[in-house]
Amino acid sequence: MTGVERLGTWLVWTMAALCAVFLLTPLVVTSVVSFGSSAVFTLPPPGWSMRWYERLLVARGLMESLATSLQIAMLSTAISLVLGTLCAIGLVRGQFPGRDAISTFLVSPLMLPGLVIGIAMLQGFKVMGLRAAWPSLLVAHVVITMPYVLRTVQSALSLFDFTMLDAARTLGCSYLRAVWRVLVPALAPAYLTSGMFAFLASMDNYPVSIFFTDAWTKTLPIQMLQFVEERPDPTIAAISTGLILLAVLALIIGDRLVGLRRLADF
Amino acid sequence: MTTAADNSTRPQRDWTAMLTVPAVAYLAVIYLMPLVWLLTKSVSGPDGFSIEPFMHFFSDPYSWRVMTNTVTIAVGVTLVCLIVGYPVAFALAWSRGIVQAALLVAIILPLSIGVVVKAFAWQIVLRRDGIVSQILVGLGIWSEPQRLLFTETGLILGAANVFLPFMILPIYSVLKLIDPHLREAGATLGASPLYTFRHIVLPLTLPGAVSGIAFVFSMSVSMFVIPSLLIGDRFQTLSTLTGRSFLLMRDERLGSTTAVVLLAIAVAIVLASTWISRRLGGRS
Amino acid sequence: MTASANFLRVNAARKSFGQVLVLGGVDLAMPRGELVSLLGPSGCGKTTLLRIIAGLLAADGGTVRLDDRDITTVPPHKRDVGVVFQSYALFPHLTVAENVAFGLAARGRPKSETAKTVARFLDLIHLSDFAGRSVRMLSGGQQQRVAVARALAVQPKLLLLDEPFSALDRKLRETMQIELKRLLRELAITAVFVTHDQDEALVMSDRIAVMNQGCIEQIAHPLTIYRRPATPFVLGFVGLSSRIDGRIAAQSGGEVAIDTAYGRIAARANFAPGTRAIVAVRPERLRIGGDGLANSIAVRFQDLAFQGSKALLHFDAGPSEQILVETADLAADSLKAGAEVTLSWAVEDTLVYPGPGEGAPS
Repeated sequence: MTGVERLGTWLVWTMAALCAVFLLTPLVVTSVVSFGSSAVFTLPPPGWSMRWYERLLVARGLMESLATSLQIAMLSTAISLVLGTLCAIGLVRGQFPGRDAISTFLVSPLMLPGLVIGIAMLQGFKVMGLRAAWPSLLVAHVVITMPYVLRTVQSALSLFDFTMLDAARTLGCSYLRAVWRVLVPALAPAYLTSGMFAFLASMDNYPVSIFFTDAWTKTLPIQMLQFVEERPDPTIAAISTGLILLAVLALIIGDRLVGLRRLADF
Repeated sequence: MTTAADNSTRPQRDWTAMLTVPAVAYLAVIYLMPLVWLLTKSVSGPDGFSIEPFMHFFSDPYSWRVMTNTVTIAVGVTLVCLIVGYPVAFALAWSRGIVQAALLVAIILPLSIGVVVKAFAWQIVLRRDGIVSQILVGLGIWSEPQRLLFTETGLILGAANVFLPFMILPIYSVLKLIDPHLREAGATLGASPLYTFRHIVLPLTLPGAVSGIAFVFSMSVSMFVIPSLLIGDRFQTLSTLTGRSFLLMRDERLGSTTAVVLLAIAVAIVLASTWISRRLGGRS
Repeated sequence: MTASANFLRVNAARKSFGQVLVLGGVDLAMPRGELVSLLGPSGCGKTTLLRIIAGLLAADGGTVRLDDRDITTVPPHKRDVGVVFQSYALFPHLTVAENVAFGLAARGRPKSETAKTVARFLDLIHLSDFAGRSVRMLSGGQQQRVAVARALAVQPKLLLLDEPFSALDRKLRETMQIELKRLLRELAITAVFVTHDQDEALVMSDRIAVMNQGCIEQIAHPLTIYRRPATPFVLGFVGLSSRIDGRIAAQSGGEVAIDTAYGRIAARANFAPGTRAIVAVRPERLRIGGDGLANSIAVRFQDLAFQGSKALLHFDAGPSEQILVETADLAADSLKAGAEVTLSWAVEDTLVYPGPGEGAPS
């Protein structure tokens, strides 16, 4: 190895180590604070205690907002998976003009400011007569989750060898059965990754959701932000640590099922 | 795009095109129409077509301060992510086994955590008595503990922390695809490793970098939760101003105007990056 | 050996990957201007040897010398050894001309000189009109030519080619083989190329090194490889042959008599009596009928494989044996299955090898 190569390698690995620390800092800090005894966020904490976790269960509105978020996320992801898969098949197999334009259009919500989309939808829904909070949230979240599903499923489908379906049909399957037994399993990793990211995007979303809440319907991020503004104490850190644990779990399951490297192709 | 559909019969072709209809129709009604509605409303005053709110907005020096704030922060975040993200993408591509797994976890796990969690954590970290302060004092860079919270630097740090994976992963996915024999070819032609890097590897990673820059820049321009928590009301960005207009000040006029400006900037970024990608992709 | 015969000299090259020995002490010596092919099945170590010579892989032991310079530990970009990769490895973001110019630009040659050299080489490969095109738009054969031109443009001391034609179809491959050979001759380039296709090796090489399991079993002129294969492996890998089992009955004055199931066979060899042996003959050396040639056996006809200008005849043989005759004689067409036929051949066409477990000839 030449001197330049050595320098470059050293630089790359040092940056990687620093970056890993940098990226994990918020997670570590949050977890540590959540177990601290002090109501003020000092690090290192003066003592250790579980009281913030005890507070979790009685925190007003927390469980409700969690339930709301979970329901909305699961339903909107499911709807996006169905609509998105059908659409992806059409885009990959179809031969009509404007396929690229449609693809870009369906992915665009990712690239545009969520706040603007939220404002537009708020006023649009009013005009359409949709005022109830919960249905509005669901309708809006399908827009949020769709790009994740479409991107991943479309690129997985473009790598899929459709002659496998023909092979299945020559072996006795009807078209639908061939799709179910050949296409869907081949797409399973794509479903998993896109479903996971879509679900997380919905759970995490603030800028769109904020416009569709009312006193009874709040999503988790909105509820959490409210806690931060009203009563900042480590209870929020406890909630956050719980979410971090869920994410770790999801990552382990994801790795078992498709491997970490696949997850990186978001 | 060549597909295996080239031998499909006519009826099947029309039928598969129909499959796109539900998704497209849904987004057209729920997403596109409201956006168009927003745009038309922003240019219609009591007497028909009017760009008066925009004139008012652009003639107000405060507006320019807000826009400068927005762009400055976005540029800062993008630069930090680019400088840190590029080498890390290489580390990810070169690493194997447990090191690669560890790096992947460090990059993907934060993606799975909500932005509220991360912003809140940075609130803790950036305080006067927070970790960053302690470290910098310990290293001797600072003479006394300082607060990074509610500063631009703190905001850039916190935002970069959230958006870094969106710079690393696109570059990494392009790097992965580069034929390993290309570097060997460069070497056997007499090019030093540095020459090979500059003239072969780096140009081939450009599409990934463009993608990463587009993502990070547009997300930085649009971010709402992070500045709300990390920098406070004295420093407004287009996004926080829009949010405040609607949620706090109930000034829908101003909110719609700033929303449209924000939208215009975001669309411009998407168009610019698409154009650049196409220039890079097809050289003949 | 004079210095010129050792323009490239590889000594005792050794390489293992983990527990697997891929290259076991290989020697190779080539004079300037020669074209040698490394021929063998996959896994024989030929590509490993090539990469060691190129400097892309470090050997566990042994040395590599090029033009009187020890390059064993020299990095690849300082070796002056060019490589044409199996996948061509063209730089996708550069045009044809830029690809060909790359090595020259990397060495800091002035632009005017580079431009002239590039033009010359593009002309040599008949792609002058494609200079400004992106390499992504070229066909397989065109890409291959650009890869060769790119490697040659810097006039390396040695050119290595790793299965350069494997991705091309048959017709194109044959055309490219002839073109490449002409080009290398014209530029007087010393070259080593790796292939698993024996026909390709026979067509292109000044000498063939047949490799098996990390060793060179024989390195010689193609005709010698074909007519006098040194080991049963080379016999089997290059060309077809008949093979029958036997045992040495007598030996005297450079000739042996071998007992086989078909009678006594005479051969020019030196084996001790009693040694088990494998007797082989190339199919075109066998004549149908008792022609007055020294060796003859009686066999039963089995089957005929028509090959256009000639036919390959199969005869009944023992379990580990086969008897093949290649003939352009159309009378063979009328043979019936089961017919008794006499085959004969000359003594000097008999190839003898020690049987399994036996040592080398005395």
